[in-house]
Amino acid sequence: MSNDLSSEMEVDAFRRLFPLRFHERHLQESIRPDARPLGKARDTSVALGAVASADGSALAKIGCTTMLAAIKMEVMTPTTESADEGCIAIDFHMPPICSPLVRPGRPAEAAPVISKQLSDTILSSGMINLKELSLVSGKAAWMAYLDIYCLDADGALFDAALLSAVAAFSHLQIPVVSLNDDGRVVVVSDEDGGKLEKEPVNKEKRKLKLSSIPFSLTCVLHKNYILADPTAEEESVMETILTVVLDSSFQLVSLYKPGGPVLAQTSVIQDCVALTRQRLKELQKILNEAVSDMEED
Amino acid sequence: MAGKSGATPSTYSPSPTTQNKKRPPIFSDVDWVRSDGRGFHQCRPAFLRTGAVNSASGSAYAEFGNTKVIVSVFGPRESKKAMMYSDSGRLNCNVSYTTFATPVRGQGSDHKEFSSILHKALEGAIILDSFPKTTVDVFALVLESGGGDLPVVISCASLALADAGIMMYDLIASVSVSCLGKNLVIDPISDEESYQDGSLMITCMPSRNEVTQLTVTGEWSTPKIHEAMELCLDACSKLGKIMRSCLKEAASPVQE
Amino acid sequence: MEIDRVDGRTPNQLRPLACSRSILNRAHGSANWSQGETKVLAAVYGPKAGTKKNENPEKACIEVIWKPKTGQIGKPEKEYETILKRTLQSICLLTVNPNTTTSVIVQVVNDDGALLPCAINAACAALVDAGIPLKNLAVAICCCLTDSGYVILDPNKLEEQKMKAFVYLVFPNSILSVLPEGSSQIGGEPMEHGVITSVTHGVMSVDDYLHCLQRGRAASAKLSDFLRRNLQSHSPGDLSKAG
Repeated sequence: MSNDLSSEMEVDAFRRLFPLRFHERHLQESIRPDARPLGKARDTSVALGAVASADGSALAKIGCTTMLAAIKMEVMTPTTESADEGCIAIDFHMPPICSPLVRPGRPAEAAPVISKQLSDTILSSGMINLKELSLVSGKAAWMAYLDIYCLDADGALFDAALLSAVAAFSHLQIPVVSLNDDGRVVVVSDEDGGKLEKEPVNKEKRKLKLSSIPFSLTCVLHKNYILADPTAEEESVMETILTVVLDSSFQLVSLYKPGGPVLAQTSVIQDCVALTRQRLKELQKILNEAVSDMEED
Repeated sequence: MAGKSGATPSTYSPSPTTQNKKRPPIFSDVDWVRSDGRGFHQCRPAFLRTGAVNSASGSAYAEFGNTKVIVSVFGPRESKKAMMYSDSGRLNCNVSYTTFATPVRGQGSDHKEFSSILHKALEGAIILDSFPKTTVDVFALVLESGGGDLPVVISCASLALADAGIMMYDLIASVSVSCLGKNLVIDPISDEESYQDGSLMITCMPSRNEVTQLTVTGEWSTPKIHEAMELCLDACSKLGKIMRSCLKEAASPVQE
Repeated sequence: MEIDRVDGRTPNQLRPLACSRSILNRAHGSANWSQGETKVLAAVYGPKAGTKKNENPEKACIEVIWKPKTGQIGKPEKEYETILKRTLQSICLLTVNPNTTTSVIVQVVNDDGALLPCAINAACAALVDAGIPLKNLAVAICCCLTDSGYVILDPNKLEEQKMKAFVYLVFPNSILSVLPEGSSQIGGEPMEHGVITSVTHGVMSVDDYLHCLQRGRAASAKLSDFLRRNLQSHSPGDLSKAG
C-alpha cells in the first residue's frame, strides 16, 4: 500500500519531492492540502475605494491572491464612427512584488494574456453601455483607464482580477466636469462653485449602470477530479485549467480551456458550469455587501 | 510596451492640478497651517504591517498618510547565470509606481533613480557575508504617491527584509525634511514637496546611531542643515521604535 | 430554417482544405495549411538541446512564435501564442526527449476568419512532418453562433464579424490502434469527444455552447480524416528527413 515513501518521510519533504503524489493522496480522501473540499473556493473579500487618487478602485482577495484595481477617467475625442460612445482601456500588470517568478524588466508571460482575456470578457459581456461614457456627442467622451495590479499571485489570477475590475466599476464615481472656453473639459471643484459660469455637462451621470455583471470560476482538472479555485501550487502540479465566466442571468460569457493533458468531456464542462453558478451567487453577495458597506459610511 | 498599441486615442486628464503650477504665497509666511493640520515638526501617522505578500520570502506594507507602499523580498536565491562567483551576497533593488499612483495617470514604469538610492540605503545595513553566492531581491511598488515616497519605501524595505529573516546590523529608518522659505517641515506631502526650496533625507540605523545615507538637494544654509538633521534623526529614532514594535507584534502570536 | 452564407455554403460545410508539407528546406518540419482564403505556414525546429530557464528539465519544452501578416505582435498574438503552446504541449509526448526545446513558428499568410484553428491545424501537421512524437493528432474548428441562434462552421472573416458569438474548439482525432475496445473511453464518452482547447468570444447560453460542441465534434471527424489521408500519402519510404 504505502510503497510511495509517504509514510516514511516528513510531510514537507514529500510535498516538495513528489508534488503530484502528494496531491493525489489528498484527492483520494476528497480533501485538499488547505483542508478545503474539492468544489469549494477560498475565502473571498472585496474592499472598495482603496486608492484615493483614482476615480474608482477596489481590492479583491481570493485566499492569498490579491488584486488592486483602479480606474482613472480621462477625456478623449471620440471617433466619427462612434461619436457618442466612450472607451475602456484595460491593462493587467504583474509587478515583480507579486511572485518569485516575475523579475523586473522581464514581464510575466501570463500578464498580456490575462489582460486580453479581461478586456474580452468585460467588453463582450455588455456590462457597461459605452454610450453612458459620452460627454458631448462627437466632441468629448470618457476614456476609462482600468489598471489591475496583482499584489500577490497564488492561483486563480483571472477570477480575482475580474472580481476586482467589476468591483472598481461599481465604486466608480465620475467627476463632475464642464466645458471651458478652449473647448477642453475640466473638473468642477466644490470650492470655486460660487464663481462657476459654465454649467456642468454631466450632473446626472455620476454612476455607471452595470447590467449583467460577469463572474468567473477557474477549475483545475485532474483525472476525474474537478478542483475549484486552485492555488498556485495546484495549478502548477495539475496542469489542466478551465475557466468559466457567467453573467448574472447565467449566460455563458466565456469558456476558456487552453490545452492541458486532461480532456474535458461534456459532463465535465457541465459540472464546471454548475460550480460556477454556485460561485456566482456567492460572489454577487460579497460584492453587494461591499457596495452597501460603502454607502453606509 | 506591448499594451500601447497605435489604436489608443490621445487623452487628457480633466483635473485642474495640471494647469496651475503657481506657488501659493502662504508657504513663505511664517505662520501658515499645513493642509493636513499637522505641526511643522510632526510626522504623519504611520501604519506598518509585515507579511503583506504570501508568495514572497518577506514583505511589508506601509501607509503614511496617502503614501502607500508594498515591498516584497525574495531570496536569498540563485544569482543570475551571468554573475561571477562572489564570497558575499548580492542585493538587487527595484522601485516601480502603479499607473494610478500619481494624480495624473502615469506609465507605471520602473523608477531607476529610486532603485539605486534604495540599494545604497540598504546595502550598508545588510550582512551580505551571511548569504554568499546568492542574491536577495527587494522589490517595491508604490500603490499611491502622497509625498515622501522614497523614505517610506526605504523604511518599508528594511521591515520586509527583517520579515524575510535577512541578517542586518539594525533596522533602517528614513525620514525627509522639506525647506519652504524660512520653515522646515518634516515628512512633507506631495503639495509641499512640489513647492519646496530644498529637501534633506536621512537614512539611519536608529539603535546604532549611524547614518547610511544622507541626501541634500536645493539651497541650504549650514545652520538650517544642522537643524534639519537633528529633526530627522529624532524622527528616525521614533520611527525605528514603531517598526520594532510592528515586528514584535507580528512575531508574538507565533511563540505562544 | 436554412441561413444564407455569403459564399453559398451550407451551415455545416467547411471551406476547401489544403495541406502541403515539407515545403521549407531548412526547417525540420513544415506545413502549409489553408481553409478557403485563410492560410497559415508553420515551421518546426527541434528538438534542440537545452530548455529555457525555469522549465522542467525532465520534460521537453515547446516554444511558439507567432508571426502576424504585418506589423508587430500585440496582446492578441501573445494570447494566440499561449493557447497554441498549451495545446501543442498537451498532444506531444514531452517525456520522450527531456531537456530539449522544440520551436514552432507560425507565419500568418492570409487571415480570412478562423485564424487560430487554422494555425493549430498547421502546427499539428508541421509537428508530424518534423517527426516529433505525439500522443495523438489534434484538429481545430471554429463554430459561430448567429443572432437567431443558428450554428455555422468555419466562418470567413465577413461572417465572423457579423456573429453574436463564436467558439474555437480543439479535439483529439480518433486513435486507430490495437488497444482493446473500450480502453479509449472516458466516462462512457469516446476519447475524441473530449475538448483539448476551448476559447469563446461573445455571450451565449450554456445550451448554445453545448450545441456548438456537438456540431464541432461532428465536423472534426471530417477534418481528422482529411489530415490522416494527407499524412498517409506522404509517409511511406520518406525516411530521409529523420533527425
